[in-house]
Amino acid sequence: MENIIDIRGLNKSFGDIRAVKDLSFGVKEGELFAFLGVNGAGKSTTINILCGILKKDGGKVIIDGDDIDRNPSEIKRKLGVVFQDSVLDGALSVYDNLACRAALYGISKRDFQERLEKLADLLELGDLLKRTVSKLSGGQRRRIDVARALLHKPKILILDEPTTGLDPQTRKNLWKVIEDLREKDGVTVFLTTHYMEEAGDADSVVILDSGTIVAMGTPLALKNRYTGDYIALYGADENAVKTLGVKYETMRGTYRLFVPDTSFVTRLIVEHPEVFRDYEVIKGGMDDVFLAATGKKLVEGGEK
Amino acid sequence: MTQLRTLVGRNVRLFFRDRGMFFSSLITPVILLVLYATFLARVYRDSLQSSLGDFLNVPEKLMDGFVGGQLVSSILAVSCITVAFCSNMVMVQDKAKGVVRDFVVSPVSPPIRALGYYIASLIASTAVCYTACAVCLGYLAWVGWYMSVWDVLLMLLDVFILSVFGTAISSVLNFFLKTEAQISAVGTVVSAGYGFISGAYMPIASYAGALRKILSFLPGTYGTSLLKNHALRGVYAEMCELGFSNEALNSIRDSVDCNVYFFENKVKIPEMYGIVVGATAVFLGIYIFLNALFEKKNDR
Repeated sequence: MENIIDIRGLNKSFGDIRAVKDLSFGVKEGELFAFLGVNGAGKSTTINILCGILKKDGGKVIIDGDDIDRNPSEIKRKLGVVFQDSVLDGALSVYDNLACRAALYGISKRDFQERLEKLADLLELGDLLKRTVSKLSGGQRRRIDVARALLHKPKILILDEPTTGLDPQTRKNLWKVIEDLREKDGVTVFLTTHYMEEAGDADSVVILDSGTIVAMGTPLALKNRYTGDYIALYGADENAVKTLGVKYETMRGTYRLFVPDTSFVTRLIVEHPEVFRDYEVIKGGMDDVFLAATGKKLVEGGEK
Repeated sequence: MTQLRTLVGRNVRLFFRDRGMFFSSLITPVILLVLYATFLARVYRDSLQSSLGDFLNVPEKLMDGFVGGQLVSSILAVSCITVAFCSNMVMVQDKAKGVVRDFVVSPVSPPIRALGYYIASLIASTAVCYTACAVCLGYLAWVGWYMSVWDVLLMLLDVFILSVFGTAISSVLNFFLKTEAQISAVGTVVSAGYGFISGAYMPIASYAGALRKILSFLPGTYGTSLLKNHALRGVYAEMCELGFSNEALNSIRDSVDCNVYFFENKVKIPEMYGIVVGATAVFLGIYIFLNALFEKKNDR
C-alpha cells in the first residue's frame, strides 16, 4: 500500500531549540497511525508543519502525492484537523459554526445540508445544531470539532489528542465514529494521544523523544521488541512458584511472573503443569513500550 | 468571494453577539459627548467670544451652533479611529483563542482572511460611528442647527471615510497583537493620543509652529478638518449674513482648523479627501502585505 503521508529528513528549530530533528516516516493510506511522545517531543510541531501552520526548516513532506511546498492549497483540502483545544466560535450556534467552515472549503449550501445530515447521524448532532457552542459540554464540543474537520470529506484526519479530558463513554463513542470512518470511507487517521490503549489499536506507531524517532513499527512488533510477557498465576503456592526459576512479584495472593516471550511461557507450562492450574498470559502494553523506548511514562497532560 | 462573504458574516456576527464589545465601542463617543458638552463647550465658547470682542452682537443660538459644530466634529473624528480599534477585536481574539489555526488549515488565502477581518471591522465600526453621528446630529439640532442636507450627507461621507481610514490603521497595528490585554492597552493609548495629534481635542492652530508643521504630515489632521468644515459651513454662512467680513471669517476658520496649512499652503477640501483616501490605501496595502508575508509563522 502507498504512503499517503511521506516525511523525509524533516527539521524545525525555534531559535536554539531543535524541535524536530531529521524526522523520516511514512503513513499508509487508510491506516490508523499513532504519533506518540511526551509534551515538547515535537508532535505538535510536526502536525503544524503538515497542516501548513508552521514553516519547516528542511526536509520534504509529501501528502497524497503533493509536495507541501508546491501545492499547499490542494493539500489543505485533503486534511481535516481536530486540534487539542476546540477552535469553534463559542458565541455562535453549532449550525452557524459548521455552515461557516463549510463555506470556507467552497461547499455549496445544498451539499452542506446533505453532508450535515450524514454527520449529524454519525455523530448524533441532531439536538445540538441550534445550541450555542459555549453552552455545550466538553464531549459535545468534541463531536462538533470532529464534524467540522469532516465537512469537506478529507482523505486524512489529523486528531491531536482528541479524547483528552473526555469521559470513558464519550471516548468510546468517538472511537466508534472514527472506526466507522476508516471502514466506510477509507479515511487515514493520524493520531496523537496520551492514552496508550488507543495507541495499541493503531496499525503503526511512531514514538518521538526530543524531536527524534526512538521507536517505530506496529504495536505488536514494538511490544515484542521492547517488552516481555507476564503470567498472572492464581491460587499457587509460593514455594512452587520459586521452583520455576523466573523473576516474580506478589500482588494480593496473585503471582506476576516476568517472562521474555510467549514461547518461553509454553515451555514453562509444559515443564510444570502442576503449578499452572489457573493463570493468564498477558502481553506487555504500549505503556511498557513507551517507557522502555523513552525512559518516560506518558500520562494525560504531560510526562512522569 | 463566498469565502470572503462568509468570513465577513462570521466576524460581524461575533462582534454584535458580544454585547460587551458592542457597547464598549458605542460608549466611547457617548462619554466624549458628555465630557465635551460639560467641560469643553464653555472653553470653546469663551474662546470665540474673546476673539470677537464687542465687534459684533452674535446671537446665542449661533454661538451654540458654532460650539456644537466643533464638539460634534471633534467627537466623530476621534470616535472613527478609537471605535475601529474596538471593532477590530475579533482578529486579536481569534489569535488569542487559537481559532485562527482553523482558518490557516483551510484553503482560504491570507489576503482573503485579512480582508474578512477588515471589512467586518469596518461594518461594525461604521454602524457604531453612524449611531454616534445620529446622537451628535440630535445634539446639534438641540443647541443650534445650521447644517443643510448636503452638509449632513458630506458629514456622513466623512464619517465613512474616516472609519475606513481608522479600520486600516487598527488592522495594521492589531496584526502584531496577540492578546486582548495588548489590544485594550493599544486602544487606550490611541484614544488618549489621537485626539491631540489630529486636532480634535485642541485645534492644531493653537499649537507651536514646529509641532503644527509635524502634525500637518499626519492624515488624521485632514480628516478632522473635513468634519469641522462640514459641521460649521452653515454657521459660517450665517455669520456672513450677519456681516462678518471675509477676513474675520477666515481668521475664525484658521483658529478652529477649518483651514489647514501644509507649509503655508492652504489645503483644499478635495485635497484633504485625497490625503485621507491615499493614506487609507497605503495602510490597507501594508496590512494585506503583512498577512501574505507572515502566512507561515516561524515561531510558536
